[in-house]
Amino acid sequence: MSTDHFFQELTALLPRLRRFARGLARDAADADDLCQQTVERALKSHRQWQDGTRLDAWVYRIMRNQWIDETRARKRRSQTFVHEEEGVAIGTPGDRDAENVVELGNVGRALARLSEEQREAVMLVLVEGFAYKEAAEIIGIPQGTLTSRLGRGREALLRELGEAA
Amino acid sequence: MTVSDEELMAYADGALAESDAARVAAAVAADPALAGKVEAQRRLRTLLRGTFDPVAAEPVPEDLTLLIAAAAAQEAEEDMTDARPSSELSPGKPHVIDLAAIRRRRMAEAPVTKGRPRPLRHWRIGLAVAATLVLGLMIGTQLQRGTVTERNGALLASGDLARGLETRLASAPDGNLRILASFRRRDGDYCRVYAATASAGIACKDSGRWVLEHVVAGDGKAGADYRQAGSGQTDLMAKAQDMAAGDPLDAAQEREAAAGGWRK
Repeated sequence: MSTDHFFQELTALLPRLRRFARGLARDAADADDLCQQTVERALKSHRQWQDGTRLDAWVYRIMRNQWIDETRARKRRSQTFVHEEEGVAIGTPGDRDAENVVELGNVGRALARLSEEQREAVMLVLVEGFAYKEAAEIIGIPQGTLTSRLGRGREALLRELGEAA
Repeated sequence: MTVSDEELMAYADGALAESDAARVAAAVAADPALAGKVEAQRRLRTLLRGTFDPVAAEPVPEDLTLLIAAAAAQEAEEDMTDARPSSELSPGKPHVIDLAAIRRRRMAEAPVTKGRPRPLRHWRIGLAVAATLVLGLMIGTQLQRGTVTERNGALLASGDLARGLETRLASAPDGNLRILASFRRRDGDYCRVYAATASAGIACKDSGRWVLEHVVAGDGKAGADYRQAGSGQTDLMAKAQDMAAGDPLDAAQEREAAAGGWRK
């Protein structure tokens, strides 16, 4: 296969990757950084991608892993300065900047209150349109686990958004 | 007949197997409460998509596309071991890329400082010039190995290309690099229009380096069949004419300039 194919497909994926990144990071600047890091990682390891398999699922996996790394690193950084009892928002680093989610409106705020696990499940299935099986593979969990995370995330969103949804 | 919440959700997502879907559909049809739940799940999806789809509709930042283009360029360069058969090359009309204009534009642009400091920003701007070159080249053609390097936002000829620009005369008939014309531009710098296997361009000797001013995808047969100049080369010659102060160098002037290291 021509490697041009890889680069062209990756370029074509960028709008969707930015959408997913915004869902994970919520803050627009953080999302752009996440996209950048994801593309860099994908380019660095592109020979590991097997032609004939779905490039989108492969890159989404890179992005969500990158985001997990990032949130863990932030947690470590924040714990260096702030004692946990003093209110570190575990698992929801985006909460630190409430105004940053304003542009995503009520939906963004409701999403921000989900756990990272629920949020990525909701984003992959409801926004990115992956089948349960595909989303489970991207995250690297059994499909049953995906289904229950998705279910809990949705219940929380419906409670939160009430009549709007 | 019982339907679990999970089944209901999967039904709303169209994720149930056919037989299950038929069973749930029957239950939903018979129970307005269930129907309401399914409807709420579907509205939630619509709401989420309505929130995030505009992000996908935004123009993609140039940084990202250029990052990919630059990697594609690098790879193309690495893959290029020899001349490719011309069938692999793009049949379309190649575009001449005005690198000097891009450089000027980049220099004129104020640095973008929205949000937090981006340590990579400066590096990316340099890369962007290389990538911009590649955007035109990547469709079917490739740079020759080691012939172009990027420094401070300028594309410099290196390796075989630099040696060829330095020593080859327009009258020399063969090889992977052919000189179409040599001339002096208005600031007195010597410039040469060249055609290599995978690319052709105009390079000018500036402060001891061959800086690529224009590059165009080659027709893949620069050395072998050079008399049939492609349309890209015709465009290049037109550019050269615009840049040149006076006529192209004749053979004697060219030899003299080469002997003097193309110093103005």
